[in-house]
Amino acid sequence: MTAQPILEIEDVGKTFKRRDKTEVVALRDINLDVPKGAFVSIVGASGSGKSTLLRIIDGLIESDSGRVKVNGKVVTKPGRDRAVVFQHDSLLPWKTVIQNVAYGLTLAGVKWKDAAKTAQGFIDLAGLSGFETHFPHQLSGGMRQRVNVARGLAVDPDILLLDEPFAALDAQTREIMQTELLRIWRQSGKTVILITHQIDEAVFLSDEVVVFSARPGTVRERIAIPLARPRDLDIKRSQDFVQLVDRIWKLIEEEVRASAAS
Amino acid sequence: MLKDFLDYLSSEARGAAVWRVVISFGSMLLVWQVLTSTIVTNRLLLVPPAEVFEAFVGEIRSGAMWSNAWATCLAVGTSFPLSVLVGVLIGLILASSRALSLMGGPMLSALNSVPIIALAPLFIAWLGLGFASKFVLVMLVSVFPVVLTTEAGLRAADKHLIETARSFNATRAQIFTTVTLPYALPFIVSGVRVAWARALVGIVVAEFFGSFAGFGYAVMAAGQTFDTATLLAYVIVLGAMGLFGSMLFQWLEGRLAPWRKE
Repeated sequence: MTAQPILEIEDVGKTFKRRDKTEVVALRDINLDVPKGAFVSIVGASGSGKSTLLRIIDGLIESDSGRVKVNGKVVTKPGRDRAVVFQHDSLLPWKTVIQNVAYGLTLAGVKWKDAAKTAQGFIDLAGLSGFETHFPHQLSGGMRQRVNVARGLAVDPDILLLDEPFAALDAQTREIMQTELLRIWRQSGKTVILITHQIDEAVFLSDEVVVFSARPGTVRERIAIPLARPRDLDIKRSQDFVQLVDRIWKLIEEEVRASAAS
Repeated sequence: MLKDFLDYLSSEARGAAVWRVVISFGSMLLVWQVLTSTIVTNRLLLVPPAEVFEAFVGEIRSGAMWSNAWATCLAVGTSFPLSVLVGVLIGLILASSRALSLMGGPMLSALNSVPIIALAPLFIAWLGLGFASKFVLVMLVSVFPVVLTTEAGLRAADKHLIETARSFNATRAQIFTTVTLPYALPFIVSGVRVAWARALVGIVVAEFFGSFAGFGYAVMAAGQTFDTATLLAYVIVLGAMGLFGSMLFQWLEGRLAPWRKE
């Protein structure tokens, strides 16, 4: 398998200036490549720059050094080949579910009739049929995140970037959404990059978990997840699963302790 | 029994709203009637509701009501929409330029707190009695709330929603039309609601001093001839104008931002 990875991150670094002029190194020397169709999670302590990296991959912010390539092309700004699903409530409150799902398409100039047709497909895929004309405030938190995922998929990106998409949900809803996400991922065949705090979520969903060091964020370790697919929630009780979670947990704990001590 | 009725009154039912109005106005009329027949029997000071109604009918029969309504509505009907338009435009300009906002902001806040009504004699001296001075005064008193809420509304736009639009590669114009403006609309309408109340005060004061027709003129003329019934009849008409405007804009606010109610 020497196929070109769909996402290549080369020596990416990012430094933020604080208001008081001091500098914070958020990311340093990030190198990562992701094969097409893979599900890769990035975990790490708070403030390890995970979300910053996601925004750099999407082109929302520029890196200070290095570069990101998608399908071999250097990223300079957001594009149709990538879509983000944010943690925060990012649905337009004055648009209905179908209008929200079609939002990316209408921005790209797709005619409403075609956009609605495409959107309908992803509404069905996300299990939202019957809620097309509901407004976001009429939906539960879990359903709103389904809309978010459907909206990301509707623009037919090569890479779906998920920024802690289930962090605001309660534990039960989160587990259901994880299995839903696996199903959607399998059916759509997209490459997924997931940022998360939840180690069990990362292990459950991913082919590979990338552990970030605490600030400045660097790649501390890349851990392959060899668990068989398709996976269901029972796997979370298996020996292999627990060991993987434990191993990652210890890595992050070391990082947190080290950065707290310094 | 009473509790049930109160619960019904505070409900969202359409009938409940009618009942609230009937009870509120009915009890006021009753107090008014009792007051005029027991304590305040001097007809120069206060007349019973029935006489006010008679005076109202009399003004309609004689045609005075219509000529006054024409004068007032012409002035308000032309200057108020224009002041909303100008207010929104200035608000847009201020929101789009930090430099202008910084320069104009303190000036606007100051002007907004000045009782511009106090300048009425000056405008009448400049522009003469009649339409022109009314037009300018109404315009000036009602433009500032619109400017301030437009600018505030445009600046308040949810940063997450803007980031979401950017992640879908939205242009600046698209961000404005799909995020910033819809977000600001309910703010703008609330400013228009405030402006409407001010416009009515403006027109009455302008007509007090500077005209020979209009509701304000009629109130003044009736006052000077101690015709309390006619005076109150016109005040009630003005009150109704204020109330209907306020209800209309409130309804519009609710329509534009249904997600805020729940």
